[in-house]
Amino acid sequence: MKKNKITPYKVISVILLCVVAFTFVFPFYWIITGAFKSQSVAIAMPPQWFPTEPTMVNFEKLFKNPAWQWMSNTVLIALGSMLLVCGTASLCGYALAKKRFYGQTIVFGLIVCAMALPKQVVLVPLVRMMANLRLRWMYYAIAVAAVIVLVMIVVSAVKNSYDWLPAAARAEWKAKDYLFRALAVLIAVLAAAYLVSLPGLISGTPEKTPMTNTLWAVILPTVGWPFGVFLMKQFSETIPNEILEAARIDGAGELNTFLTVVCPIIKPGFGALAIFTFINTWNDYFLQLIMLQSRENLTISLGISTLQAEFATNYGLLMAGAALGAVPIVTIFLVFQKFFTQGITMGAVKG
Amino acid sequence: MKTIRKALALMLALCMVLALAACGSGDKPIESKAPESKAPDTTPSDQGGEPTAEVELLWWAPPTFIQDADDPAGTYEQKLVEEFNASHPGITVKVETIDFTTASDKITTAIESGTAADVLFDAPGRIIEYGKNGKLVDLGDMFTDEFKKDVGNDDLLTSCQGNGTYYMYPISASPFYMAINEKMWTESGAMEFVNLEGNRAWTTEDFEKAIEKVSASYNPGVLFCGGQGGDQGTRAFIANLYDGSVSDGKEYTFNSEAMLKGLTKAQEWIDKGWLGNGVQYNGGQSIELFVAGTTAWEFCWGTSAAGNNAATMEANGVKAISLPFPSADGKPVLEYLVNGFCVFDNGDAAKAEAAKTFIKWLCDNEENVTRTGAFPVLQSMGNLYPGDAEKELLVEFTKMYGPYYNTMDGFANMRAQWFDMLQKITGGGDVTELANAAVEASNAGMAG
Amino acid sequence: MAKTPARLNSHALKRHETMVAYLFMLPALFFFVAFVIVPMVTGVVTSLFNYTMKNPVSPETFIGLKNYIDLFQDKTFLRAMLNTLILVVVTVPAVTLFSLWVSSAIYQMKEGVRSFFRCVFYLPVVTGTVAVVVVWRWMFDVYSGILNYALTSMGLIQKSIMWLGDKRFAIWCIILIMFTTYVGQPIVLYVAALGNVDQSLVEAAQVDGATDLQVFWKIKWPQVMPTTLYIVVITTINTFQCFSLIQLLTEGGPEGTTNTVMYYLYQNAFSLYKYGYANSMGVVLAIIIAILSAIQFKVMSKDVSY
Repeated sequence: MKKNKITPYKVISVILLCVVAFTFVFPFYWIITGAFKSQSVAIAMPPQWFPTEPTMVNFEKLFKNPAWQWMSNTVLIALGSMLLVCGTASLCGYALAKKRFYGQTIVFGLIVCAMALPKQVVLVPLVRMMANLRLRWMYYAIAVAAVIVLVMIVVSAVKNSYDWLPAAARAEWKAKDYLFRALAVLIAVLAAAYLVSLPGLISGTPEKTPMTNTLWAVILPTVGWPFGVFLMKQFSETIPNEILEAARIDGAGELNTFLTVVCPIIKPGFGALAIFTFINTWNDYFLQLIMLQSRENLTISLGISTLQAEFATNYGLLMAGAALGAVPIVTIFLVFQKFFTQGITMGAVKG
Repeated sequence: MKTIRKALALMLALCMVLALAACGSGDKPIESKAPESKAPDTTPSDQGGEPTAEVELLWWAPPTFIQDADDPAGTYEQKLVEEFNASHPGITVKVETIDFTTASDKITTAIESGTAADVLFDAPGRIIEYGKNGKLVDLGDMFTDEFKKDVGNDDLLTSCQGNGTYYMYPISASPFYMAINEKMWTESGAMEFVNLEGNRAWTTEDFEKAIEKVSASYNPGVLFCGGQGGDQGTRAFIANLYDGSVSDGKEYTFNSEAMLKGLTKAQEWIDKGWLGNGVQYNGGQSIELFVAGTTAWEFCWGTSAAGNNAATMEANGVKAISLPFPSADGKPVLEYLVNGFCVFDNGDAAKAEAAKTFIKWLCDNEENVTRTGAFPVLQSMGNLYPGDAEKELLVEFTKMYGPYYNTMDGFANMRAQWFDMLQKITGGGDVTELANAAVEASNAGMAG
Repeated sequence: MAKTPARLNSHALKRHETMVAYLFMLPALFFFVAFVIVPMVTGVVTSLFNYTMKNPVSPETFIGLKNYIDLFQDKTFLRAMLNTLILVVVTVPAVTLFSLWVSSAIYQMKEGVRSFFRCVFYLPVVTGTVAVVVVWRWMFDVYSGILNYALTSMGLIQKSIMWLGDKRFAIWCIILIMFTTYVGQPIVLYVAALGNVDQSLVEAAQVDGATDLQVFWKIKWPQVMPTTLYIVVITTINTFQCFSLIQLLTEGGPEGTTNTVMYYLYQNAFSLYKYGYANSMGVVLAIIIAILSAIQFKVMSKDVSY
């Protein structure tokens, strides 16, 4: 199906696109070139369209500080949130879209309401909670759960990929969804640790090892924020019911169906969600500002803002920070672009 | 299908590893300190909290101290802390650099969630607000008679108080004034109206003649009101024009006759193009116009603005002349910045005492005063900038300090009213009506 | 499940599905409840108190709905609400239609070209608000802005316009910048969704002689409906909660014409320390958004067909 007819409409729309695109490219161009301008050149009048004497002074200034540490913190936060959000949101979104269960409207209504409520309302209680969560307990919980889950993953992977087991046993194994249980165990342990930490939240005694000032304090609320669930629900809506029915008739377990049938179809959704989460986390200044404080725990945008003097904005430095921050984001963007095109079209699945 | 499953399994596993790695890296700084602080902390405090107990303090420092040449932000503070820790066994101070623009958001959230630092460096405006709301430790015992006598300025001492209680221990102060672009004023022949003798006080009349000339060939300085930043500059400018005052110490009075006259005059100048329309700019942005050589004068000037923009001005060939605000009687009254420290009440008496020791140690040090680029509050320190002509001029300015109203109730609310009023006046609104409304709202905000 | 019972009765089936569904949702719900719902409830409850920096939440400061009553007598709030509604009414359709147009124009192009455009429209999101705002502010500047420079040199205007300082233009400048930072995600989503449209249906329609426009409305539009719904709802929420643009560009001025509910909320909470009052504003905002979203769901879900 090739449609290479050149219609006037197409020509006009391409021209229009290019014109509009210029408005979008220009700020970016200005930021990138600005990173290589000294302060006086950056604010010079008339503007210098291209830095005739590119300088590395801004980057040098930046790297006198623990800028690599800031970068790696930011990447860690963004990647961690991205992975957790993709995992949790796809499962949840699929269930919301394709299962009919009691409390469906309530759960979804809550999710929309939570997104509707401005984050500022939540901030103070959130910081209070983070300051009172017993960090070490959460760590132990995660470590214990992680070991259990890893073992279960290995076991289930081995069991599924070798056919030395009798066919009946394999079918049973599939149907029982061990991965699924593993996940439930992980969450149960986490929830237990969370609940055990709650008394501290109520009595308000300051913790020796609070969760604030750790990267977790930024990651966990980001994972809780349900926009990913909503996105994945919308993507899951497009899954044809016949395919799910067919998988069920084949005897595939719930999680197997999800992994082998649902995931390929909502792959573009994964791509979009991964990019969005990564970038939103990268740009979410406010949460980082209130949660992190140690110099070695800062993110790149927080770090740069501590370098600005009063009554004098250093534009070169600001641009250098933005340019530096854009590198990993563009990388992620290019990596996940593939997800959009490789998605199996539904026609093929329906076959 | 299998590959996808494997990929997912791998992703989950990776996620776990990452989680563990993040734990490790996040935990380290705390873990490494916990043993030293915890062990001595639990035993002696059970016995009644002797002063020898190990106390750990957190100091939030915006970039106020001037760093050596190319040192990154926080280097000098770090050096200070190390020095203090070495000389004061039993107290460990940790410093975290915070930034100016977003500091208040962070502090507010921290106060409400009980995670505030112990020591904060800031200006009185916000500090006193925290104090009045019961979040700070009373520093009254640090203000000994001897200390008060050494300061010798009641207005300055008032700036450290909220409702009669001392909440801020001052280290230095510096005036806010205005600056003009020497080249532009000379070339447009306006320098004849400028007084460069003595304390450089000049009159509104001369100012008017001067700006008429300068604005004929250059962009006039802007009466910025695009936001709250640097608004003390516009208040001082308007107040001085006809010797009015923003407040009488009890209430806001910028609808007084003198203030109305000043506001009307400013509106008239903006209409004529003798004064720049600043609805789009706040103080910081207006400074950027001035140091880039775009505008001919600036109402928001001070030691930190001059210091932080020195390199930019040199590159742009801008030379600034510092002047007090023009006034009708030639006796200007200036606003000023007081730098100081406060101690948050984190419910631990030992901590509060340690924090007091720390801030006293910081403030009673001449080098630290010069590092703020401002002037000592203690007269006994004398002239810390011998041979610096500009600083000597500024010492003259420090004699023009007026009553300090930044610690009045409802100050934050008044600031919002002020810039909104200026925007409306710039837009051609009725001055009397607007000023009355803004004063009424400001005074109403004092109760809340 | 290997031996799926023939539909015993719908209740038993639903009970089974309920268990499975909650297992699926468990991970997400844990994080959601622990780190969003719990603090959210706390935040909402505090809106019933005269909660300020001075007055902590306690039985003495309980004032019931007074914050809400005050809110609707607060002229600044009402003005901010009006501004916010203007932003929403203009931005949401503009973003949705523009991104749909761009995506349908580019999604059938060669992979390289498509990636290029997708990247281009995503750039403002990538660079972060602070840096983008700096550039835009400079473009809108009176003295050195290229916008004024271009217009004057073309002879369209005589005197430089103070874009961000003029009551007539400021909100439109905000809308323009908001627009450029908002269309990135919808375009990515639409391109993905359009790529997933069942090609066999499209081909069948083309064989039957349907025009491009007919194909679009009859086949593609219904299939991207879930995506459209998501985009509309999310853009509505984001626009209602627009805050950093205002803070960085105008602080609500000139003369309150760009003050939004979120900025006013922020001011009340962070510079006036009226937490209870600010939170009540947040709750009102959330209720309005939730009602609007419910309407959007109702209207747009009707068209979905599989």
